Amino acid sequence: MPSDLQQRRDAEPRPLPESITHRRSAVRRFFDAWPPMVLMAIAWLTLMLIIALAADYIRPYDFKALDLRGRLQPPVFMGGSWRHILGSDELGRDVLSRLIESIRVSLLIALASTLIAAVVGVLLGFAAAHFRGIVEQLVQVLIDLQASMPFLIIALAVLAFFGNSLMLFVLLMGLHGWERIARISRGLAISANEQGYASAVRDLGAGPWRIYGRHILPNIAATLIVSMTLNFPEVILLESGLSFLGLGVQPPLTSLGNMVGYGREYMQTAAWILLAPAVVIIVTTLSVSILGDWLRDRLDPTLR
Amino acid sequence: MTSAPLISVSELRRTYKVKTTGGWFSPTAELKAVDGVSFDIRPGETLGLVGESGCGKSTTAKLVLGLIPATSGKVVFEGKPVAADSKRAWREQRRRMQMVYQDPLGALDRRLPVGAQAMEPLDIFGEGTKAERRDRMLALFDAVGLPRTSVDRYPHELSGGQRQRVVLARALMLRPSLLVCDEPISALDVSIQAQVINLLKDLQEQLGVAYLFISHDLKVVRHVSHRVAVMYLGRIVESGRPEAIMRAPAHPYSQALISAVPSPRARGKERIVLEGDPPSPVDIPKGCAFHPRCPLATDRCRSEAPELRPFGEQRHVACHRAGVSITSARGAA
Amino acid sequence: MLAYIATRVGRAIFTISLVLTFSFTILAATGDPALLIMSVDAPPEAIEAFRERYGLDASVWQQYIGYLGNLLQGNFGQSLRDGRDAWDVVVERIPLTLALTVPAFLLKIGIGIPAGIYAALHRNSFLDRLVMMISVAGYTVPSFVLGLILILVFAVNLGVLPSGGQDTWRHAILPIVTLGTAGAAIIARYTRSAMLEVLGQPYIRTARAKGVPWPKAVRRHALPNAAIPTLTVVGLMVGSLIAGAVVVESVFSWPGVGRLLISAVANRDLMIVQAILLLVAVCMVTSNLLVDIAYGLIDPRLRGRSGSRKT
Repeated sequence: MPSDLQQRRDAEPRPLPESITHRRSAVRRFFDAWPPMVLMAIAWLTLMLIIALAADYIRPYDFKALDLRGRLQPPVFMGGSWRHILGSDELGRDVLSRLIESIRVSLLIALASTLIAAVVGVLLGFAAAHFRGIVEQLVQVLIDLQASMPFLIIALAVLAFFGNSLMLFVLLMGLHGWERIARISRGLAISANEQGYASAVRDLGAGPWRIYGRHILPNIAATLIVSMTLNFPEVILLESGLSFLGLGVQPPLTSLGNMVGYGREYMQTAAWILLAPAVVIIVTTLSVSILGDWLRDRLDPTLR
Repeated sequence: MTSAPLISVSELRRTYKVKTTGGWFSPTAELKAVDGVSFDIRPGETLGLVGESGCGKSTTAKLVLGLIPATSGKVVFEGKPVAADSKRAWREQRRRMQMVYQDPLGALDRRLPVGAQAMEPLDIFGEGTKAERRDRMLALFDAVGLPRTSVDRYPHELSGGQRQRVVLARALMLRPSLLVCDEPISALDVSIQAQVINLLKDLQEQLGVAYLFISHDLKVVRHVSHRVAVMYLGRIVESGRPEAIMRAPAHPYSQALISAVPSPRARGKERIVLEGDPPSPVDIPKGCAFHPRCPLATDRCRSEAPELRPFGEQRHVACHRAGVSITSARGAA
Repeated sequence: MLAYIATRVGRAIFTISLVLTFSFTILAATGDPALLIMSVDAPPEAIEAFRERYGLDASVWQQYIGYLGNLLQGNFGQSLRDGRDAWDVVVERIPLTLALTVPAFLLKIGIGIPAGIYAALHRNSFLDRLVMMISVAGYTVPSFVLGLILILVFAVNLGVLPSGGQDTWRHAILPIVTLGTAGAAIIARYTRSAMLEVLGQPYIRTARAKGVPWPKAVRRHALPNAAIPTLTVVGLMVGSLIAGAVVVESVFSWPGVGRLLISAVANRDLMIVQAILLLVAVCMVTSNLLVDIAYGLIDPRLRGRSGSRKT
């Protein structure tokens, strides 16, 4: 026994083999830099992106194909067959295929809208910063107007007045969140103009396109990207909300909110129709939010 | 030194409207940042502009380059007026006149390699092919003493002195005939300052560029300048050759400035210490702007503003009591 | 202070006039409502009569002036469907919406603010993490999904509460909980970060160093200062009392203003949409204005300025 104790005492202070400590700290360092939640969020978003890009190839069925004899089939995990892994809906359409198509449509709309908002916001913000005076006042008024109204109401009003088409709908979603990006890019551009590097380039004789495009934009890109990641989940929620109400994406096209909206009628008998898209909405917005928060902390701690 | 001036500045004024209090309808007052400044610079010459902070040196620099519009007065550069309108003529003049800044880190874009930034003037004016631009950039890097390996570095990877060399290389890229240097060395370590000063002098010999050299530090200005102008509250109070002014400053303000320069010879000499701060440029005193702080002030100084008049050889002074020494006046009293 | 309030009021009026112009422009730009409403094969005389009745045959400027004049007299036009006064149609729905949003609002504040304060005071504790997790969920779970989940659990599976309609007070429970949860999450998050920021300020440390006991430091120094940003969020929520229940009313078939809006949009009943749009704009702008003024009253810096100007 004493020898045993002796051995143990000897063993304790002895340093671990170099390779082990090294590997362990490398693992820890990796997870410090990439928290598991963030990795999961990235993995999920990558999956969504792949699904959106490869939708045509990985869909088991045509998402519009009816099968009136195989209606309301439960999914595999609720005792259904492997024919419809996630079950089928009230018209016998394959839920998985519809889900894949919906992911593609919702993601595309959210991406396009976020890009539109970013372009509009940056252009107006830079215009305000460059021209100052009356242009800046005008942009400020627009920003205030947009910020003072709930966007859902504006969107509903526009849809009521102009009717619905996919193009209009995407443009409309693109109006969401531009004011935040405009406000940020205006503030950053003004401070860049007051700082040395932008005014130094202007003193060299550079035109506004070069000053804003080559110098100011790359310098503020990190902040803009972060605020775009804040915008993205909001657009997904907005789109799915409007589609849920039947005022967004119109059949035969389908989107996540759209599926939830139509699946609602069969909630008591076939909850799987709306559960799958609902889960995708929640996990996707959650992932983008996690990623956005993490990016914000890493790239731009000054932003709120 | 009889050739035509490269740049000729006459009666340059710049005023700002400021509100005296924060309210909506509070009265506005005029802030006279630059109040009637005139000077010439000949090709290849250096004019040093000295004064306390807030005396209008930097505003003068911006006015000379046409970066901000003048309230009145004229700047003629190479026979053409300089107007701050960002139009084609103004842009064309950028090829011939450039600026070097106080803070080289602030003047550089931290997201671009310094080589690309130094080349940017050539890009802007579309000069030469890509290879030619690069050759010119490398040649200038050699000229300002930057290693060629630093071309792909980012500003934060360089030392303060190296950054200022990048700014210099960028400013000289288009072979300008005038370089306005606004406190080019005051943000640098003392050990680096002398190097940059010597570099500026070398470059002037090689390239024949003229400098408008702005500094609060008379000691530095004296090293680089062919002529010196002392500014106080938006006006030039004395100008002339540096040795002459250093030896026998004629304006009481210059006397105070020079007595503040530490030098081994000055040991034991009486320091002239001015009382009070310079008055606010919003509320410039009547008569000679310097009279509230001037130990030699008389009744005439309080009522009548002195003009810049010739005083001896190649020298101008704006003082009713020009040439009277403060120390000897004190000794007499 | 007076100048401050005057500026804010001026801005509020300007914003509302912009919304008015916006809605009129869109209304005028969307083409001829007569053709939208009347069937394609309606006789031309009928269409003409329709236009005259709704003032659609005048020039744009005349229409705009007439439009503003009508609004000033409280005339918001008629519902294009049944010819009833649009304003009346909207107003009779307001109490129903308030019956959901006011209790939900109290729920948000009653849960959100204490939860946020607690989380901030016990930073990194288990409950803090829990509060933060729930609040992230409140951000990312859309209200229609939350509503449907509640229906699935309480109406379909447990059968204890009705899934829709507004016959009894029990019908209101699920919509109120749905509305309150998301709002409480947002308020909790704001309150927590406002509290954390205040607690990190030097004056709290100073108070502690002076020997002020912790509870008193929190009560006297931290809470009043953290109240300012929280007040902003809460104030904005007041403005959305009328507009904030659009989706939830739809989920629970609750016949409030939101549901009216949805059906008006679907039927393109423009006068109703416009009346609601203006109503919401006025509510939002007014509550923004009140928040701004409250800010001015609370914030000692603004108070100080008004005091110094008097002397």
